[in-house]
Amino acid sequence: MIDVLIALLPVVIFALVKYTWHAAVNLLLSWFTMCAAEFVFVLIKNWGPKDGMKHSLSAKFKYACSGYSINNVLVPLVSATIFALLMPSQATTPSGFIYFVVIIGALFGIVFGKLVYGGTGQNIFNPAVVGFIFVKLCFSSKFNGLWYVDAFNVNNSGALTAGATILTNVTNHGTVFGSSYSYLDMFMGNIPGAMGETCKLAILLGLVYLLIRREIDWKVVVSYLGTFLLLIVMAGLIPLSKHEVGFDYGKFVLTQLLSGGLLFGATYMLTDPVTMPITAPSRILYGMIAGVATVFIRLLGGYSEGVAFSILIANLSAPVLDHYKWSSSRFNWKNVLAMVLIPLVAVGILLWAFADKIPASGLVVMGGAL
Amino acid sequence: MIAKTTHIEDTKKLLGMLPTIQADVPEFIYIATNNARCGKADVTIKEGDHVNFGQVIGMRHAPYFDQPIHATVSGTFLGYEKHYHRSGKLVDFMKFQNDFKDTVDPSIKDRTDEEIASLTKEQITEILKNCASVGLGGSSFPTYVKFQTDKKIDTILIDGIECEPYITADHRLMLEMSDEIIKGIKLLEQAFGCHDARLCLKKKYHDLIALYTELFKREKSSGITLAPVGNFYPQGWEVAMIKSATGIIVESGHLPSEYGIINFNVSTVVGIYEAVKHNKPVAERYISVSGDGIVSPSNFRVRVGTPVKSLIAMCGGYKDPEKDKVFILGGPMMGASVPSDDVIVTKTVTSVLVFNAEQPKVEPCIRCGSCVLSCPVHLEPVQIMNAMKVMPVDKERVKALNPLKCIECGLCSYCCTSKIPLLDYVRRAKIIAKLP
Repeated sequence: MIDVLIALLPVVIFALVKYTWHAAVNLLLSWFTMCAAEFVFVLIKNWGPKDGMKHSLSAKFKYACSGYSINNVLVPLVSATIFALLMPSQATTPSGFIYFVVIIGALFGIVFGKLVYGGTGQNIFNPAVVGFIFVKLCFSSKFNGLWYVDAFNVNNSGALTAGATILTNVTNHGTVFGSSYSYLDMFMGNIPGAMGETCKLAILLGLVYLLIRREIDWKVVVSYLGTFLLLIVMAGLIPLSKHEVGFDYGKFVLTQLLSGGLLFGATYMLTDPVTMPITAPSRILYGMIAGVATVFIRLLGGYSEGVAFSILIANLSAPVLDHYKWSSSRFNWKNVLAMVLIPLVAVGILLWAFADKIPASGLVVMGGAL
Repeated sequence: MIAKTTHIEDTKKLLGMLPTIQADVPEFIYIATNNARCGKADVTIKEGDHVNFGQVIGMRHAPYFDQPIHATVSGTFLGYEKHYHRSGKLVDFMKFQNDFKDTVDPSIKDRTDEEIASLTKEQITEILKNCASVGLGGSSFPTYVKFQTDKKIDTILIDGIECEPYITADHRLMLEMSDEIIKGIKLLEQAFGCHDARLCLKKKYHDLIALYTELFKREKSSGITLAPVGNFYPQGWEVAMIKSATGIIVESGHLPSEYGIINFNVSTVVGIYEAVKHNKPVAERYISVSGDGIVSPSNFRVRVGTPVKSLIAMCGGYKDPEKDKVFILGGPMMGASVPSDDVIVTKTVTSVLVFNAEQPKVEPCIRCGSCVLSCPVHLEPVQIMNAMKVMPVDKERVKALNPLKCIECGLCSYCCTSKIPLLDYVRRAKIIAKLP
């Protein structure tokens, strides 16, 4: 778990540099909320020695605290850091992002995403994603569009400029399948978005570190990004064949890859081992399901881009993939068939539905973060 | 860390260099009546009787074979005492007072080389049966049963891999008894009528490889070759060894002899040779005493029946005697833990490991899947654990996860990032899966 925190460090540093104390407040609030919830959970779970004898309150408290281990701090810290990085920075949203949204999200995420299932290792869903989706749906007015602080142009007066996220921008300016931002800006994070998801360089650093330390399973990352790329490349064929005006194939693919929370989700959230299936073939299928869901939500869905939802959907599929009747740690005809069928069916659905979705005037792509 | 674990920390480089110490025969020798494979035993001597070295003093009975019990010392039978057997069970041991004369029983007499050369497979099988020769690598499977195979054997594999950490008994045996090993391998070739025997050694055992390359050069006509195999764990598992040495994959549920392969441990080969040459049961064996709870880890050649306590005393006793100790007979990965040092060396004890007891804090499983990736037989230990945690246990679910395939190599417990004793769960699942 320390390794995941180390891998999150470049992203945290980026957020702190770019958003200064706004990021710090988000992180601190989230850390405090999740760690406190976990501590209360440990107290409730281990309350008093269950030996039928009478104990004083302080003895019960001491006994409960003895069940508190380093993992009861590190695991919530990881979830809390990820959750905080998914939040927009304070005071840059139009209505003034309020602190209690962070607290509510963190609390909901850890309680209903993890603790109700029995704590670390028992949860079905990634707590950070659960918390994020909860606040995103409940407080959607707080999330509207403009989250951008151009920290690289900021002067000492602290003048903050705001902007829309890439995909929203695309829609507003009527440019199809592309954005006005340069690839370098998108790569370095000089674009609007949630605090953690914009800087691909920092995320790639974390990804490389995690892969070197083998803290995450490369199969999930590869199959997720591979499926995503395959579907996007196939989807791009439709406007290409229709000779859309101003359509740039390469730009479409690259923008899809570099925008939103794709890389952040693939690195830190999808690869959370607790919510993954355990066998190698199941993990490949799991990445595929998430990849398909992301593309479908992004291109066909009515909701802004779908990494968070796709992670939840993939989390849902993990217990099914792990069912003892068909899970196998070896590749056999069943799981290989599934590995072939899922992308095939997905491409089929995509080509059929996406072709209908493109109006004559151009593609409407919903924008937003994660 | 989510990764396939194949290497375990090697801790025996120094110990393998230490020469073997011939341990003194203690005043009292203990012989087990029954053991892990044989549940019943008939003892044919009475208290106060005098026995000779190598005398048959009883018969052990197992479901499908009988095994004579031999005295490994000359002296007086004093009676029965309870001690721990290497399987971890408390077993009746016969206690003998050593008279330090080692009067040899008349049944032990050498065969000449001509006599040996004329022996058939059936005759050798009979000799091994009477000498109670068993697999000395730790399996204690009767060797003569292996000899009774009617399959055509093309390749004999000799296991000198010793892939468990800490143990160097076979290493020292191979260095010090190379003559007996080569003669034993030739005897096996004679018995099975094949001309292809391979000594499997880990690639990293440079001293052994150098020694045996030289020795086999002198035996060009014998068909014995060296098969250097991988350094990974569990290379000593017969399926892994056969795959590395010959390329043949033995499917689960099949015997290697169906593929024309038969395999023996090096110490078994020496045991077979001694049985045929001297008509002598296994009375001595190589043992490593090691671990971080021992003052000076050593290799011993000990008389079977020696109490482990005296070996530990010969090693200088316990390091940090105030700490609790864990005793393991066999390797740290697969061996059995015994509750105290009141254990007796039997034929199949390869090592005594003494560790300072450390109870690692078991963290909740984070489903990292390292155990699934590492399992050499492609089981899913974490799924088995979860199935065993459900009360009442769902028998169908446990059976569907196939725990009976487990070879108990211990990699799942070793690689667990949460320090969960997975092998314990799998062992319990095996019991459940055996139920009708």
